[in-house]
Order: sequence, then structure tokens, then C-alpha cells
Amino acid sequence: MKRDIIGLVDCHNCPEMGSLTANRALASTSFLGRYAFADFALSNFCNSEINDVCVLVKDHERSILKHLGNMTSWLTNTKIGREQILYNERGILNPPFNHDINNIRENDWVLYSSNASYLVFMAPHIVLDIDLRPIIAEHIARKEKMTMVYKPLEDADIEFRSEDLLEIDEEGYVTSISKNDGTKKKANASLAIWIVNRTILADIIKRHGAVNPLYGMKEMIPYLLRVAPFKIHSYKFEGYARCFDSFAHYIEYSFELLNAGVAKELFNPDWPIFTLTHDTPPALYGKDSKVVNSFISNGCVVEGEVENSIICRNVKIGRNTKITDSIILSNVAIGDETIVKNVVIDKYSVITSRQKVEGKPDEFVYLKQGVII
Amino acid sequence: MSTKIAAMILAGGKGTRLHALTRKVAKPAVSYGGKYRIIDFPLSNCANSGISSVGVLTQYESSELNSYVGNGEKWGLNGVRSIASALTPKQTEEGSNWYRGTADAIFQNIDWLDKVDPKYVLILSGDHIYSCTYDEMLERHISSGAECTISVYPVEWNEASRFGILITDKDSNIVDFQEKPKVPKSNLASMGIYIFTYKTLRAQLIADAKNEDSDHDFGKNIIPNMMAEGRKLVAYTYHGYWKDVGTIASLHEANMDLLLDNGKPTNLYTVQGDNKIYSEDTHSAPQYIGPKASVSKCLINQGANIFGSVSRCVISSEAIVDEGALVENAVLMQGCHIGEGAIVKDAIIGPSSLVEAGSKVNLEQDGIVLVVNGKAGK
Repeated sequence: MKRDIIGLVDCHNCPEMGSLTANRALASTSFLGRYAFADFALSNFCNSEINDVCVLVKDHERSILKHLGNMTSWLTNTKIGREQILYNERGILNPPFNHDINNIRENDWVLYSSNASYLVFMAPHIVLDIDLRPIIAEHIARKEKMTMVYKPLEDADIEFRSEDLLEIDEEGYVTSISKNDGTKKKANASLAIWIVNRTILADIIKRHGAVNPLYGMKEMIPYLLRVAPFKIHSYKFEGYARCFDSFAHYIEYSFELLNAGVAKELFNPDWPIFTLTHDTPPALYGKDSKVVNSFISNGCVVEGEVENSIICRNVKIGRNTKITDSIILSNVAIGDETIVKNVVIDKYSVITSRQKVEGKPDEFVYLKQGVII
Repeated sequence: MSTKIAAMILAGGKGTRLHALTRKVAKPAVSYGGKYRIIDFPLSNCANSGISSVGVLTQYESSELNSYVGNGEKWGLNGVRSIASALTPKQTEEGSNWYRGTADAIFQNIDWLDKVDPKYVLILSGDHIYSCTYDEMLERHISSGAECTISVYPVEWNEASRFGILITDKDSNIVDFQEKPKVPKSNLASMGIYIFTYKTLRAQLIADAKNEDSDHDFGKNIIPNMMAEGRKLVAYTYHGYWKDVGTIASLHEANMDLLLDNGKPTNLYTVQGDNKIYSEDTHSAPQYIGPKASVSKCLINQGANIFGSVSRCVISSEAIVDEGALVENAVLMQGCHIGEGAIVKDAIIGPSSLVEAGSKVNLEQDGIVLVVNGKAGK
């Protein structure tokens, strides 16, 4: 177990997904019926034997706290390990200053109370399985000050639009960092995984006010690249990684995982994704249920038809109802003889019997939390 | 529940009639309902009754069960003022002993009970499937002034001769007792669930331990002895779903009872809300139903992958049913694998067991067949 590393789940740079994230953080937004986005970063830390983890919360702390609870779901040792929720109390009143550097500064006791020499940042909106151990080992062996993880893309004009693009020299050092303006197809996209030496982070926090007090880590790193007396190294990751940068991509990437071949890249029995248990019973299917190509979560009672859809916990689907190409979040009840197609239905909504709710494949209907139709 | 009560769950039995399913695990640890182990039910019932001191008496193949019970965290029994302990036979100054009977198992753990210092002790069986709280039974025990309250279940008269039968007067006082009678005088079967006033129980256990002719069994020794002494024993009639799964067929039937439209009074979905059944979290991937699958009248847990056709099945996590496979009226336990084109009928497929592609299991539907081979994923 690596005890000299702190893992940071940085929620400050998550993109917005319209109404879906209007009242919740992306980190605690439901994904594939069973997960919240933060589960992937937290599980990557846990599986990489990093047991000292902090979540840097930007806003919507209620929804994050509800999912994370006492956070022991992602810890190997609950005494040696710790998981902290760090929250910038002053920042919430002053949004331009509510960034990750100020959050760490507000909560700098986390650094003082640990002997960790390295910090690893991960962003919850980038979903991937990544073993951080070899990356950290390389970072330490090469005596680097900072390492950034990237993924080479063929379609950077549509993917990873919220992330930076990196240019890398032959020795693997980053030579330029630029925003992804959608003009390049082939590019190296940052996975927002940064390995930083503790002394460097302390220096960033110290100098940050003089550079630009509005800068977060994402802005400070390009600045460092220009002025720092050290180079930023890179690490290439070529596995499955998706950046959830828009509502359209949320839908696209969720449905993509209905393909068993793609799902296999994310769900590896040796790399479990941990999440909070709700102690719901297994899904129950009626005698006339017809379900194909779908994820169905525990607690569901399905008596109708479900096709190409993702159904979260405790959803009831009535008789002769047909759900197609839709994402239904938890605790939704749908009556009998109802048609739902190309729709995202948020939690606790009720669709009564004999209704028709239809969107278009390129224009999904979104029903917000708690609506009754 | 503010009154101080401790629960002791008897979980040492082998469950011989479950054959290969209990070759490596004790009967209370056998998988049930797609997600649970049988012992989750009494443990969840204790948690839901606000009972915070629970001893689990284990003996046969105890290591898996002991680690499963752990500190009781899965059932929330790890909070302040809570204690959950797996109690196995141990070596002491007087020597070492196996548990010689149900009463002896409690007797050997009197020290544990003394430390908890309860006013009442609830004795439960680790291999019964039912969801309830014990609040009402305890209230009855206290208000009736009994020294022992026995939970009874009304069975069909023609089946009464298979059970220990209690005969009561109009005030529910137990006046007589028949063990598997040819001519039953009542249809109230003892469920093996007792509430004792601890002081009485303690004295009875110590006396019984000294009696070399005793089988050290609650049903055979402690209860008859208390009746002979003229102590007040009261029956508490339980209504609701209750099942003691002793055989492969009854384990299969109890699983099928969980399916929708089974006409039974209880399923897992009616016990949700305040009285959930808690269990281990398996960290599974989401449950996936494939493009050519057909699913009807099933109960399927997270982590299962269904590509074939399943009907009237209870399916556990990480179970895989390949394309073209047909499974009917079966229980698929954790991690089992039904190969492509295989046909399975009326069966229990054990944990991590493989039904090879194209093979046929119990097509003649000759009773309930058990397949246990541990070959899946190898």
C-alpha cells in the first residue's frame, strides 16, 4: 500500500450537462444505472492502492455527500486510509475564486497532516480504468516534478472538447498545452490526471496569488510550462477513456457501453468499480416482460418491454409499456401501456398509464426530477 | 427496541440434505434469492428489530461463515453499543469441545452472554427464510410473564406429524409437547425460535450441561425440562412467509417463491422500505440483458449477463447465460456459466459451476437436479 501518495478527485473542472447537472454535481450524477461518476476515479485510486483520498468539491455538496457517505466504500483500510471531502467555504460566495487551488489552500491541513510526497489529481468526468502504480513509479524513478497523462485521439474535433491538447517531444516532455478548439482531428488529449510533487504543489499555492488569483490548476499548469524551472513529463494511456463533456456525449457514451465488447474494456473483474450499496433486491421480471440489449439495475420491477435502454435502481415498468433507447434514473415509476422513446427521465418521476413520451435520436427529451405526466 | 435483548443465531448445521452445496460451506451460508445468503434473513431481522447484540454460533465449515459475519457491518451491527460475533467452539481451561447440541452451543458461550448482560435472549436458527421483526414476540413474552416464549407456525394438519408440535390452552400457554407425533393434537409447529428470560435460561443451561444423559438440545431437553418444572411457557403464533429449507427441492421452491405472480403472500419487494434484507455488496458490473435474450418471470441480480433465454429463474451476480441457451425453472448461483445452446430445466446450478455448451440438464424434468462442479471461468 502506497502511503506517500494523496489522491485528489478534482470536481472543479467538470463540464456542465445542462438540466441533468443543474441540481447536482457531475461527480454524483447517475451513470449506467448503478454508478455515480466519482466511483471511477475513487475506484482507480483504490485499485491502485492509494488509500489517502480527498474529494475537492466545487458545489452541490449535498448531492456529493449523499453518494459518498462516510466514503468507506472505496477504502482498503479504513483506519490507515482516509477519505476527506474538501470544500471551499469562502469560494461558494465568490464563484470566480472557487477553484481547486483555493480549495486546497483553504484545506491545507490535509497536506500538513500527511507525509505524502506526491499528489495525483483525477477528474470524475473522465471515465476510464487506469492503473496509476506504473505511472507513479515512472514519475518517481525519473525524478520528475510533474507528469501529465494523455490519450492520443483520432477525432479530437468531437472528443475531449472540455480538455486540453498536449504536444509532446521525443523525450516525452510536454512542449505545449492548448485548449481543444475542435480544429484538430489527430491530437493528444489530456486525461486531467496530473501527478505533482508535494513541494511543487506547495510552490504553486504560494505563487498563485501573484500570478493570477483566478487561476485554477488547469490554468496554472500551462503557465508553469512557460516559466517553471522544470519540465513536465507525460505518460501515454491508450486504453478506453471517455470524456463526459456534454449531455449529448452522456447519452452517446452511456449507450455505447451496451455493446458487450466496449463494456468489456471498462468492466474488468480484476479492476472492480466500487460504489455505494443500497441493499436493493435483485431485479424482478414479470411473465410478459421482454428485455433486450439493456442494463437493468437492482430494485427494478419490469413487466413491460425494454429495448436498448439503461434502467437505474428501483424503477417500475408497467404492463404493455415499451421503453426504447432511453435512460431512466432511479425511483421512476412508469404505468401500463405507455411508450417512452429517446428520453432521459430524471429521478422520482412518474409517468402514468397510456402516455407517450418521445424524443428524437438526435434530440432526446429530458424530464427533470420529480415530474408527473 | 429499548429492552435489552441479545440474539443467538444457531448456524453450525451442515445441511447434509443439500448435498454438494454444503460440501464447502455451512447451510446458513448457502446462496438464496439471487443476492443473499440464508443467514442474511435472521441477521437482517435482528437489525430491523433494533437488536444490537448478536452472536452467531458456527461449527461446520465455519471459516467462510465466520468471515462473512465479520463484525456485522453488512447488517449495520458495527455501530456503537453493537456487537456481532461469530462464536465457534473453542479451547478453554477445561479442555476443548465441539458443540454437542443447540443448548450446549449457547452454554459454551455463557461468558459472551454474561458480558452483554441481556435481560432476554432470542434463540434463532441461521437457516430459516422469513422477514419479520421480533418486537411483538418480545412484547408478548414480557406482558405474559413467561420465562420462555416459543414461536409457532400453523402447518397443514396432514403435515403436522413432520414437526415438533406444541399444544396450547386458550391463553396460548403451552400445556403439552409432541415430537413428530403420529396423531398430532395440534397443528402449531415449533419454529425453533425462542425468547428466554436470560436468568432462567442461564440456570437451565448450567443444569443441563451437568446432565450426562442429555442431548443438550432445546427441543429435546431444555423445553421439556422447563415444562416438567411447571414454568410458564407461551406460544407466539407467527403469520407470514416462513421457510426452513432442508432439501434441494425445498431450496429450489423457496427461490421460486420470490418470482412475480407466485400467489405467495411475501416476496422480497414487499419487505423493502423499513425492513430491508441486507447482504454483502458484490461490486458487480451492471446487469446486462443481451440483444437476443429473452427474460420472463425472473429475479436477476446485478452483474449477471443474460444472452440466452431464461424463464422462471432466480439468477445471481456474475452468472452468464450464453446465446442460444435455454434455462427454465432454475436457480443459477453466483458466477455460474450456462454455455451456448445448453438446455437446463428444473435445476439448481451451484456457485461457479459450468453447464457446457450444447449439453442438456434434466430435460426429462425428473425432480430438481443439482449441478455443482466449480468449473466456470477455468
